[in-house]
Amino acid sequence: MTHSYTHTVVVTDPVGLHARPIGQIVSLVKAEGVEVTLRRPGGPDVSASSALRLLAMKVKTGEEIAVVVEALDIETATRVALEIDTYINQG
Amino acid sequence: MSKTVELRGVGVGSQGIVGNVWLLAMAGSPLEPQRATRELAGEAEALTTSIATTVSGLRGDAAANDSVSSDIMEALLVLVEDSELLELARPSLEQGWDGATALQNALDEFSQLMGEDEEFQSRVGDLMAIGREIGSVHRGETRSLDLPSEGQWVIVAKDLTPLETSKFGPSVVGVITEHGGPTSHTAIICRARNLPAVVGCHGALTLRHGSSVLLDPAGDRVVPGGSLELQTQSIMLAPLSDAPLITVRANIGSAEEGRDAAHTVAQGVGLFRTEVLYLNASDTPSLAEQQALYREVFLAAPRGKIIVRTIDAGSDKPVPFLPVAREENPALGVRGFRMASKFPEFAESQLRAIAGAVVETGRDVGVMAPMVSTVEEVRHFASLCRQAGITQVGIMVETPAIISVLPDLHGLVSFLSIGTNDLSQYLFAADRLHPELSSFNSPWQPGLFREIKRVVDAGEILGVPVGVCGESGANPLVAIVLAGLGIHSVSAASSAVNDVASALQGVTKETAQRCASAALAATSPEQAQGEVRAILEEL
Repeated sequence: MTHSYTHTVVVTDPVGLHARPIGQIVSLVKAEGVEVTLRRPGGPDVSASSALRLLAMKVKTGEEIAVVVEALDIETATRVALEIDTYINQG
Repeated sequence: MSKTVELRGVGVGSQGIVGNVWLLAMAGSPLEPQRATRELAGEAEALTTSIATTVSGLRGDAAANDSVSSDIMEALLVLVEDSELLELARPSLEQGWDGATALQNALDEFSQLMGEDEEFQSRVGDLMAIGREIGSVHRGETRSLDLPSEGQWVIVAKDLTPLETSKFGPSVVGVITEHGGPTSHTAIICRARNLPAVVGCHGALTLRHGSSVLLDPAGDRVVPGGSLELQTQSIMLAPLSDAPLITVRANIGSAEEGRDAAHTVAQGVGLFRTEVLYLNASDTPSLAEQQALYREVFLAAPRGKIIVRTIDAGSDKPVPFLPVAREENPALGVRGFRMASKFPEFAESQLRAIAGAVVETGRDVGVMAPMVSTVEEVRHFASLCRQAGITQVGIMVETPAIISVLPDLHGLVSFLSIGTNDLSQYLFAADRLHPELSSFNSPWQPGLFREIKRVVDAGEILGVPVGVCGESGANPLVAIVLAGLGIHSVSAASSAVNDVASALQGVTKETAQRCASAALAATSPEQAQGEVRAILEEL
């Protein structure tokens, strides 16, 4: 059974969610073997294993994004979510 | 036979060269659409393989580069690797197009989907270039940068990335780029490698692949079909004295560059860029580690004074252990000495490490702060230096604001050093990396010479020597003008030191002053350069 952890991030990077953090997110998701989706409040789930789809979300500065991580244990899920948070806002 | 027209640009280096044009496909047009020769499944499979092969090759190349370039490359590669891209390519494959064409269509479609997204549009050229690279691999064509190891090639491109310049082998004898100014990355890399170049050369991409050209950096031009006899004679000045008119030093960033500089006639180091020591450190190095690095550089550096610049980092030149947020305008952001206020502990440890290495090696060392613009900052820096035990304190003159207040620095500084690259970009409000603004950043701009004169005058009031450590000093003729303006020392990359020193051995103080007066009175960079050349050619 998998554990799901949802973490909300407000994008503060002045360029929004751009190619560099997206590259880092996709590589992390691949390396960790976890399921991650990003979504806007009320929006559709976007798989974080596709860099193109993440980029096409065109997330701008100030937007709030939910990062949902599905992993085998809650520690991994939490750790991955927080790592994604640092990618998004430290570009 | 039609008369070929010469192309104008900004020359880098002084040695003319004749070579054959190698048009870099990275800057080129899209691949020609082609029909597939395999059936659908085979073609799709082959495309997947071509992507994987190319991506892994580019990833290997990128690893050899600085961390910023390789991060950007990695972000693009992750996009190309995405299996969604294959889905976007599928309709074209189903219509019978080959993998290269389908991939290009997929990238076009994705680019349209992204619309006016500024950040994306600024990288779309790189993404398309990677797509073309994959397309060439897919069709079994030679990779654009697999240059022949034989022959004499002049690389012609819109602009070059560090990734591309890193692939140049011995068969590359020159570079022509349509974009870029005298202080662009391409120009700096070419100068460091002693590779003649003409940058900011309008019309460069109209040169025919394989055709012979004369690259004439001294004349700031490219002559299609020209022979070496046509090159603008770099002015040969017979030596009048054993020593150059003013001190010539080297600019270095590491112990290795210090050793190179020791093989030139450089009398010491005019600019030691310390950030180079820290770019690859993920954690703050200890005081002892830092001191050991400085000791090594001080021991390697050529005899004479060594001027050390404290760390000059910022969001455009990030140091991993000094994190700065992304900025809209890195050149106007938290960088240079502003970093010292943000990271006071590091600033203190750097100065203490330098002071420790000075004691250990007994070298004559001055320390200066980059990018200061107020008296307050200079006072702060001087007190940090005093606390660390550093006695020779100076500043870089790079901002218009500090020039206005120089007379108020009495007792705070013992030398000034003009960084002409940044001073130009701040004076003219012209980004020095902007491809279309290169003429503003010409070292021959009369406005720049007049500001330098103001700094010299202020230096006299303060009773301190004034040096120039920007790219201006790497141009032998500009160095003569600087000497005539009353500058006490110039410094340049090791590859340019000997040329600059010998030019400065061939003129008297009076000649240099005549050149300076002509340059100050000029109203355009072309006029300044033309009149100085005329004075020197008469000799």
